[in-house]
Amino acid sequence: MWRFAIQNLVSRPLRSLLALAGLSVAIAGMVGLFSVAEGIDRMVTDTFSRIPGLAMMQAGAPLPLFSRMPAAWAEEIEQVDGVRVVNPEVWSRVNVIEGKRVIAPPRFLFGTNIATRQKLETDVYRDAMVDGRFLDGTDRNQLHAVISRQIAEDNNVGVDDKLSINGDDFRIVGIYHCGQLMLDVSIIVDIDLLRRQIRFDRDSVCAYYIEPDGTVENDVLVKQIRELFKGREIQSTGNIAGAIATGNPLIDLLLAIQNWLAGGTRSSTGIATDADAEPVEVRTANDWAERFDEFSTDLNLFLGVMTGIGVVIAVLSIINTMLMSVTERIIEFGILKANGWGRRDVVMLITCESAVLGVSGGVIGCLLGWIGTDIINSTWPDRLQLYASPSLLAFSLIFSTTLGITGGLYPATWAMRLSPMEAIRRG
Amino acid sequence: MNKPTPIPAIEIEELTKEFTIGSTTVRALRGVTTTISGGSFQFVLGPSGSGKSTLLYLLGALDRPTTGSITIDGRKVNELSRDDQDRFRRHEVGFVFQSFNLLGNLTAVENVLAPFLPIGVSADLRQRADHLIEQVGLGDRRHHRPRELSGGEQQRVAIARALLKQPKLVLADEPTGELDHKTGGEVMGYLRGLREEQGTTVVVVTHDESYIEPGDKILRLLDGQVVSNPQSGNSPAETPTGK
Repeated sequence: MWRFAIQNLVSRPLRSLLALAGLSVAIAGMVGLFSVAEGIDRMVTDTFSRIPGLAMMQAGAPLPLFSRMPAAWAEEIEQVDGVRVVNPEVWSRVNVIEGKRVIAPPRFLFGTNIATRQKLETDVYRDAMVDGRFLDGTDRNQLHAVISRQIAEDNNVGVDDKLSINGDDFRIVGIYHCGQLMLDVSIIVDIDLLRRQIRFDRDSVCAYYIEPDGTVENDVLVKQIRELFKGREIQSTGNIAGAIATGNPLIDLLLAIQNWLAGGTRSSTGIATDADAEPVEVRTANDWAERFDEFSTDLNLFLGVMTGIGVVIAVLSIINTMLMSVTERIIEFGILKANGWGRRDVVMLITCESAVLGVSGGVIGCLLGWIGTDIINSTWPDRLQLYASPSLLAFSLIFSTTLGITGGLYPATWAMRLSPMEAIRRG
Repeated sequence: MNKPTPIPAIEIEELTKEFTIGSTTVRALRGVTTTISGGSFQFVLGPSGSGKSTLLYLLGALDRPTTGSITIDGRKVNELSRDDQDRFRRHEVGFVFQSFNLLGNLTAVENVLAPFLPIGVSADLRQRADHLIEQVGLGDRRHHRPRELSGGEQQRVAIARALLKQPKLVLADEPTGELDHKTGGEVMGYLRGLREEQGTTVVVVTHDESYIEPGDKILRLLDGQVVSNPQSGNSPAETPTGK
């Protein structure tokens, strides 16, 4: 039966190839689109798995870039049971490197307190050094930076070379390579230096990285820190939008809105206010990953709609192909029925043919999608990280086969109902 | 090859068949009653539109009559379930058509095996198919596709296909209609050989009376009715003129 089905398809090569092409492209598109979401999931999971500590940011801030907190809170956090190190962070977007505007991929100046940073047991950047050294006490208030290998390659610089960032010449003291888009965007510098460079309030930070000492469960620690700051209000100082003006109109607008919502130009001094208000969010890496999952759920929905359009076209193509094939072969079905083929046998033959199209289209589509993601990843390694997982490929193959079979069912049912006598008479 | 048991007579009673084409009802058969002797070589004659082919297809359970009945081997064929009708056609009836009706994607031997594709082709069946292809003189063309065969060769493949199931009944609809007289005679010879060797009942619908031989049975139809039926006593058995 299968051989007969394949022979029937081969005997109409152009039509079969067109149906196959339609399905393959749809499945390849599906693999490609969903590999975006899978790539993000994988990147997020991998990134956060490397960060064992807690991150504390201003409540509601989507990124450290948009967060402001008093620098003095570091001492209070250090007093909480279970805290080993509190590392304050200041973030700013890089607008210009070596005289060229930086749009995509984005780059960020990451100001870190070198002294507390050195106390961290696990440091995602320090542990990923591939050349030179990480920042130490000699780099305080110096135009010294640690950059990612990607940034070094993009600008053709190495250790001890100068790199112009936002108009200032930084000396490269070390190069790291995390191999993750979300991490390899950072240019790590001394926090005080960065504050001065971007005119950031010296009494504020963007975020705190808190390394637990392991004596208290992370959940308990999170609760303790939140309780500590409950009821306090963060008052920003200076013009935040101005302080970290990015040059990117969209980001500047977001910053301006956030600044306005936060109360304009007030200082972030941490004044007591509503007793139940929580001015900060403290999250573990898993919490942040879950937040990204929410985003990727929406993305999956969008991608599903996009894929659905392609799939509908592919199914219509298969139905059209099989229907035309069946219409042409009415006499053949009459002959088969005259020779003892039952209605089920005819349905089975047509379904086998469409299933062959489905499986072939699935295999070709998966292969194209997989190769496509590989090409994209290697062409733009610092911009995209797509991932076509084995489960995505397996799902696509099963989906394609199901589509093929489903697409053949209507023509098969139509053929099944044909009277053999009428069919033979047409001959 | 085992010789099949010949079927007893085929009883056809008050058979009618109506088709609806648009708003018009066509009465293809109008109360046909006759008996076809088991193991006979039966011709069904009549002008176009007389209902010959309709009768043949009803005998082969390709369609159901509007009223009346067909009894073959003690079973009312028109009352069989759809599955039983499929089985009946697969195992007991061989069809031979005017336009050969081979499957273009299959080779000659695969066409012979076509009825058995859904239930699987055993080595024994394949061997028998090869043997039949040789019997009809196409041993060296067994792997050719229909388009590579002449009309006569295609009809011989169709006959081999009908013979593979060792049918009790062969129904041939204008089997010589697209062949020259010599090739038509050869095809008719194969059908006669089948009846003689295996006792198969052969019913042939034709316009061409030149193939009729002494001893053949003849049923004449006109406008869906029997006009001459030697076995029903309507008229004496027509004396075939032979070729």
